[in-house]
Amino acid sequence: MPSKGLNKLLAAGVLAGATLFAQEAPLPTGSVSINLPKDSPVALLAISSDQSRATMRGAAMVLDLHMSLSLRNGGAGRIHGVTLRVVSQEVAMGGKGSVTIPSLNVAPGEAFPVRIDMQLVRPTQLSAGPLVRVDLDGVLFHDLSFYGEDKLNSRRYMTACELEAQRDREHFKRVLAQYGKEALKQQIMGSLQRQAELQPLTVRVRRGIPGVTNAGVANSSEQMAKFAFLTIPDSPIQPVEGSVVISGNEARAPMIEVRNTSSRPVKYVELGWMVSDQAGRDYSAGSLPSTNPIYLPAGQTARVQPDSTMDFSNGGKPVNVRKMTGFVSQVQFADGDVWVPNRKSLENPALQKVLAPSAEEQRLSDLYRRKGIDALVEELKKY
Amino acid sequence: MKHPSQAALALQAGGDLGFISRWRVERHLAQCDQCREALEAYQVTRQILPDLAEIPEIPWNRLAAEMKANIRLGLEAGECVRLGDPPLRETRWFTGTRAAVAFASIAVLLVTGAVLERPTPVTAPVVADDGMVVQATENGNGIQAGRRGQALRLMNPSQRVLYSTDAQGSMRARYVDPETGYVTINNVYAE
Repeated sequence: MPSKGLNKLLAAGVLAGATLFAQEAPLPTGSVSINLPKDSPVALLAISSDQSRATMRGAAMVLDLHMSLSLRNGGAGRIHGVTLRVVSQEVAMGGKGSVTIPSLNVAPGEAFPVRIDMQLVRPTQLSAGPLVRVDLDGVLFHDLSFYGEDKLNSRRYMTACELEAQRDREHFKRVLAQYGKEALKQQIMGSLQRQAELQPLTVRVRRGIPGVTNAGVANSSEQMAKFAFLTIPDSPIQPVEGSVVISGNEARAPMIEVRNTSSRPVKYVELGWMVSDQAGRDYSAGSLPSTNPIYLPAGQTARVQPDSTMDFSNGGKPVNVRKMTGFVSQVQFADGDVWVPNRKSLENPALQKVLAPSAEEQRLSDLYRRKGIDALVEELKKY
Repeated sequence: MKHPSQAALALQAGGDLGFISRWRVERHLAQCDQCREALEAYQVTRQILPDLAEIPEIPWNRLAAEMKANIRLGLEAGECVRLGDPPLRETRWFTGTRAAVAFASIAVLLVTGAVLERPTPVTAPVVADDGMVVQATENGNGIQAGRRGQALRLMNPSQRVLYSTDAQGSMRARYVDPETGYVTINNVYAE
């Protein structure tokens, strides 16, 4: 690992070179710092950042990162997920992203690759330290135990991914065991077809709710729309009521009241959000997470109310909203356990039309597409 | 050692902290490299935001300058077509006594403002996130975030990308990496 002084020199060199020629300059490997704690269960074997570039844009440096890391599982358990934070500067926007690799199955001692493709912005005046820092946010193991700082809530996210992966693998293994390869093939082809038919929706999210507290600003075309809800029978949380202000293709101030119908306190709720346009086409508009940490005891209600404004378009044309539908998609209990809907709940035809498959179903169907049914069967046997 | 909050550092960078808070933060900064670096970064960010506005194809700063120039031109044109109104200084409303009273009132207002503690801002840090936008790139090969979506981009080397957005302002792009065969999820955060 290069010293801090060397990093400064490299950064200064890149700056000087890029400024002098006012164009792209390659990013020296030493200007990227990979920070893994001493007791980290993953170790860095190699890093390649040949394709990365730095470009000056006024007082900002744009870092075009194309890196490939090779990490090794140095722990005792199988790794099922990793999240890396990629930071060029912490304190302002444009300097931070992350990469998550769920659905891993890496045995102790094995190596695995992680690719990072992103563009970050960094003030040119920030010359101290490396240009880019890659930190380990978390590692999820096969038994759902976790290691890491978890600054990005990667524990909850990767746990939900892993539960979905277990659910979907079990489903496909059951289909294989009961009905054979041909039935499994039909299932996967159905999944690929649904993925291809998903209506693309461009969603722009703006934090804050402009004009919402000022009645005088309200547009005459605005209307308060009620959410409809899809029932997920085994969900520990049930939606009570919800509303959103709609104006054309813009939706703002969404609010959903939920009740904890389980016997355990809940600390996080996430609802899926579907939009129907004037022509009756349905889209997935994203999710509504509970904003701040909540504590929702059994039987109590709380509001999921992000302060944001979203607008929807498809192919550059606005998608005017006719109807909103919500459903509970993820719950975390106060003790850290995570709930995700079961496979039967997801077979609801309304959900099937708009809901993207889990990361694991995406991986398995892609494996089938590239290598065929036998490779998929072999993959399922590994679990 | 207790560090000042990020909000306090951001306000300090903009010179918006009250006297006592500023004094306390400056005392801390004198002995803390980490906070000094954070402060410098906030100051730099304040400086580069206008430059970042020039990144998109629309030159916002130039447009703003042109609009100002047009407004100035309009005001000057208005002055030219004003018919026969005597200048304010020549009217009976503008007398030495009245001017003195007006200046005295302004002076009292300024002194009162200086005596009272400067108001403590209750707004969020300088890096306010209203106007922050996350969205898929127009050609669908990545996601971007920032004011007008220009500050950060994640590129996806795959044709089959599934995007998901949450109303808190983060966006994910999920795809199977053609090189590694692993599902890769790129995340952008509005905060």
